[in-house]
Amino acid sequence: MTSALFSQLTTLGSSVVLLFGIVLLCRRSLHAYVEAFRWQSLVLSALVIVVGRFGNAPDLYFVGVVFLAIKGIFIPRYLERLAKSVGAESESQPYVNITSSLVIAALLVLSAYVVMRPLVLATQLPTRGGMPLALGLIFVGLFVLISRKKALTQIVGFLVLENGIALLAVLGTFGIPLIVEMGVFLDLLMGFLVMQVFVYHIHGTFESIDVEQLNQLRH
Amino acid sequence: MNTLFFAMVIAYGFGVTAALAGGRRAIGRGLVAFGAIAGSAAGLALGATVIAGGTAWTLSIPELLPLGGGFALRLDPLGAFFLVVIGVGAVPAALYGWGYSAAYEGGRASLRLLGAMFNLFLLTMSLVALADNVLTFLLMWEVMSLTSYFLVITEADEPPARSAGLWYITMTHVGLMMLLAAFLLFAGPAGLGGFAELRAGASSLSPGVRNVVFILAFLGFGSKAGIVPLHVWLPRAHPAAPSHVSALMSGVMIKMGIYGLLRVTLDLLGGGPAWWGGLVLAVGVISALLGVLYALMEHDLKRLLAFHSVENIGIILIGIGAGLMFHRYGLMPLAALGFIGGLYHVINHAAFKGLLFLGAGSVLQATKTGNMEEMGGLIKRMPWTALFFLIGAAAISALPPLNGFVSEWLVFQALLGGINIPVPEVAVVMPLAMGLLALTSGLAAACFVKAFGITFLALPRSAAAGEARECRFSMRLGMALLAAACVGLGIAPFAVVPVLGRIVAGLGGLPDTQAAFTLSVYLQTPSSLGQMSPTLIAGGLLLLMLLVPALLWLFRVNGRRRVGDSWGCGRVGQTARMEYTATAFAEPLRRVFAEIYRPMRELTVNFHPGSKYFVESIKYTSEITPVFEQSVYKPFLDSATFVAQQVRRLQAGSLHLYLLYMAAALTFLIFVARWWQQ
Amino acid sequence: MKYVFAVSQAAFALALAPLVVGFVRWLKARMQNRRSAPPWQPYFELKKLFGKEAVVSENASWLFRAAPYVVFVSTVAVALLVPFLFVAEPFDTVGDLLAVVYLLLLGTFFLALAGLDPGTPFGGMGASREMTVAAIAEPTIAVAIFSVALGAGSTNLGRIVAQTLANPANAISPGHLLAFAALFIVALAETGRLPVDNPATHLELTMIHEAMILEYSGRYLALIEWAAALKLTIFLSLLANLFVPWGVATTIAPLSLSVAAVALLIKFGFLALVIAVVETRVAKLRLFRVPELLGVSFVLALLAVTSSFLLR
Repeated sequence: MTSALFSQLTTLGSSVVLLFGIVLLCRRSLHAYVEAFRWQSLVLSALVIVVGRFGNAPDLYFVGVVFLAIKGIFIPRYLERLAKSVGAESESQPYVNITSSLVIAALLVLSAYVVMRPLVLATQLPTRGGMPLALGLIFVGLFVLISRKKALTQIVGFLVLENGIALLAVLGTFGIPLIVEMGVFLDLLMGFLVMQVFVYHIHGTFESIDVEQLNQLRH
Repeated sequence: MNTLFFAMVIAYGFGVTAALAGGRRAIGRGLVAFGAIAGSAAGLALGATVIAGGTAWTLSIPELLPLGGGFALRLDPLGAFFLVVIGVGAVPAALYGWGYSAAYEGGRASLRLLGAMFNLFLLTMSLVALADNVLTFLLMWEVMSLTSYFLVITEADEPPARSAGLWYITMTHVGLMMLLAAFLLFAGPAGLGGFAELRAGASSLSPGVRNVVFILAFLGFGSKAGIVPLHVWLPRAHPAAPSHVSALMSGVMIKMGIYGLLRVTLDLLGGGPAWWGGLVLAVGVISALLGVLYALMEHDLKRLLAFHSVENIGIILIGIGAGLMFHRYGLMPLAALGFIGGLYHVINHAAFKGLLFLGAGSVLQATKTGNMEEMGGLIKRMPWTALFFLIGAAAISALPPLNGFVSEWLVFQALLGGINIPVPEVAVVMPLAMGLLALTSGLAAACFVKAFGITFLALPRSAAAGEARECRFSMRLGMALLAAACVGLGIAPFAVVPVLGRIVAGLGGLPDTQAAFTLSVYLQTPSSLGQMSPTLIAGGLLLLMLLVPALLWLFRVNGRRRVGDSWGCGRVGQTARMEYTATAFAEPLRRVFAEIYRPMRELTVNFHPGSKYFVESIKYTSEITPVFEQSVYKPFLDSATFVAQQVRRLQAGSLHLYLLYMAAALTFLIFVARWWQQ
Repeated sequence: MKYVFAVSQAAFALALAPLVVGFVRWLKARMQNRRSAPPWQPYFELKKLFGKEAVVSENASWLFRAAPYVVFVSTVAVALLVPFLFVAEPFDTVGDLLAVVYLLLLGTFFLALAGLDPGTPFGGMGASREMTVAAIAEPTIAVAIFSVALGAGSTNLGRIVAQTLANPANAISPGHLLAFAALFIVALAETGRLPVDNPATHLELTMIHEAMILEYSGRYLALIEWAAALKLTIFLSLLANLFVPWGVATTIAPLSLSVAAVALLIKFGFLALVIAVVETRVAKLRLFRVPELLGVSFVLALLAVTSSFLLR
């Protein structure tokens, strides 16, 4: 019974995490992007703790708390501040319009299911129901990176992508060794800081954070 | 049965003779129509007899074609079904043509050519369904294409008709080449043979050859059926032809492509790998969706209907594609369901598309224009045409209790059966197809609200529309027959579905589905995924339709009615310029699907020289990009023109040079033949 | 006897429908700190409209006068198929979910034509927008039906209810919840509620349904309004009884029927509350952002299918 409940809960949690990724695609303002990311991270942290509880991996409690602190609180707050200082431009004209983005996201998730199916069939993990959803989230994150123009929204896309990787790791292995997890965290933090510096520079050069402007650098 | 066959041939022959005799008056045209009606009715009877008897009818005249097995005919239930479809489409169309061709009395087109070709077209189309060897089939196929080409260019004085004819004849010959190649590969070195031999030899073909044969046949038959992207000739040829011919071409002739596809893939090849069905399904979905999307942007009534033919062929192919996939996985009852849904839609489309084209023809004759923006208010001036067109529009929008609903329900149920496919990666296309099919049918309903609403409702938008008169009796009778068919096929599926089950039984090893489709007012899918009864729905709707006014009367509802002005925010006097136009109606959908349409708009405003607060004129033009014409056909045509330009250099005008070419070619061929021998 | 029960169930729904609309209005007003007419106000409105003479535009044809009857009749026909208190036993096999969808489309089709008939710009605008929304809502409905039918092995409403009752675990599976969410969004769009359409306004630039029926008055308007209320009731009961079927009477007995009635009213009350909250919180979307909303619902429906499909 607990195992059935566990698998229902992880599948449901992964669905919600993925849904916040998809919500990203139908929003325009940067604030909405950050908000969706914040909620996604909160649910993800909760899910990590749930996996820790049912999967008997107490070190996941710690990971969950760190997730909550960094992704749920620190990064969103920092993004808001960044947006305030460079002026939040909303994603008014993405490369792919919103309706098409949604349809593409659905197809990406579908393909994630197809790709993951052999793996899902092979494992007996109670968490296997969420794994295709995690891969789907990785795809959706990549798609946000590709199709959105503003540097800040792209950062959110990158963060969502990272959330997808973390979700897959948690579901697939019940927590990779803590040290690896922390290494990934540091990478993420470094990447985030580097990107933030870039954003300041892009903004300083072009008075805008539309990365399409970077075309002008080619000469 | 021999009697019926010869009666059919003789009746068509009579029609041709009567046309060539050249009567221009009602009697002469009546004799032509009589030939066609009698011929197609005999064909219908022949088909019905074969279906009822369940045994094939054969006739072979080897002397008639001393090559490749002679002139061989065999009518099995599948062919017989298409013969019935021809009858259902042709009898009303011919009757309608009697009155419609009166417009050509003045000499705008050759009545002789029209009448003769019309009868010959029907005859050869019937013989396509009857052909039993490759040679007969291809020959009849080609004559059918040629006669229909002449019918398309009936009004040859009009440049659009000539251009349409050129497109049509080119596309149909590209298709014919594919078919020739397919059959040559299929029959192998043994030469062109009978269908029975092909069927027997199909299993010994290598998978590669089978795949190539399937692809070539699908493209060849698809070019006739009008699948995307080979559909470009439909919206050109259908509007150019006289309306009763458009009704036949769109309602019946393009279905011969479906016949050919079923005959070759399912019957002769005996089915194939899953991707065959997947390809047919995917092409079906794309055709259905793009067909209806382009129809929405079209404001010429007959072009709009032509795009809807692309859509409906797509729906038919969705059913057939799903059937082929189930067939591959051995889910025979579901496969039968898919094919039955497809075939049901074939005959339904013949009924409602025929009806709509005939209605469009009446409107065209009454208003002298095909442009919907110049119509309006015709429901008052042409009440019968309006009623019949409304029935056709509701049927094609798959509204209960008419026939389109039944066949789409069957196709939906077949797609739902996709959950039984054991390979989920394959099965997952089914919900996608279902969603897109639903989108298609919703868009079709929107499109026919536009087509009927703008054409028949509100105030007339031009003087011609204001003076329109109801069409002739024979034309109305033709439409009434098809409208009755739409209603009948809608409320009596219990009589149709078991028959269709018998038709597909035995094809490619499909079992008899008699047990699954029992004769009752309920329609139940073999996997018992769903059950409904169009008959009872129709009865219930009718009952309620009588009951509700009666109850209102019983409860003493105020039944008075006063006629007044329309509300217009206080303005007085309403003109047609205030009405919503077809362009305006379709505007929201154009924005929604802008990525597909890639619309281009141009707005020119001329201000008064004195003040820019006064506008002298506003010009608004909008266009959508015909994606396939630009990305597929234009590069091809450009390169063909370029090559032709280069080849022109060979043509120097000197006779000696030409003789030299011939001699060189001859020598070359001799050497090739010599080398080939070794 | 069964027929009598099934027909009286539909009559019950028809009688309840104005109250449902009135209750949503009342709740909404309460949330916005407004005073409201009582929930039973729509009954008075219907009575008033039935008592008035009808004014018909001089340009309108017979279609304009016939359309209200077609709309009303097709909606009532759907009400005969839908389980409100119990599964509509003898009629359950007459029409399945697909038939329900297409019968509702029949009403929409005729209403849109009637909007075009008098030739006023408002009617045309309403008809055009209504058909656009109806068309792009269609794929979500189909895929959601697929997902529901997948769980129950049938598209017939009675079977779906019975299957979910038999396997209560299905009701909290992600596929089920996602399909519910998808269908809820579609129900808002189909019944002309915020954020797609505003049922309370007569401002021509924002309205869809109201623009289409602007020319109607008297008994015609009453029939259309009643049909619209019934349509809302039908969607609510589909949401309530297909996804949370507990309380639906399996036997026709006084006790189980009264339990079913109480359960239905609780479920309706909850759904009405959700609608009122949504309508209070959310502004109306621009027309061209409606496809985005329906796109979300389509994605939800597709995820519902895949999650219950590929993991079997």
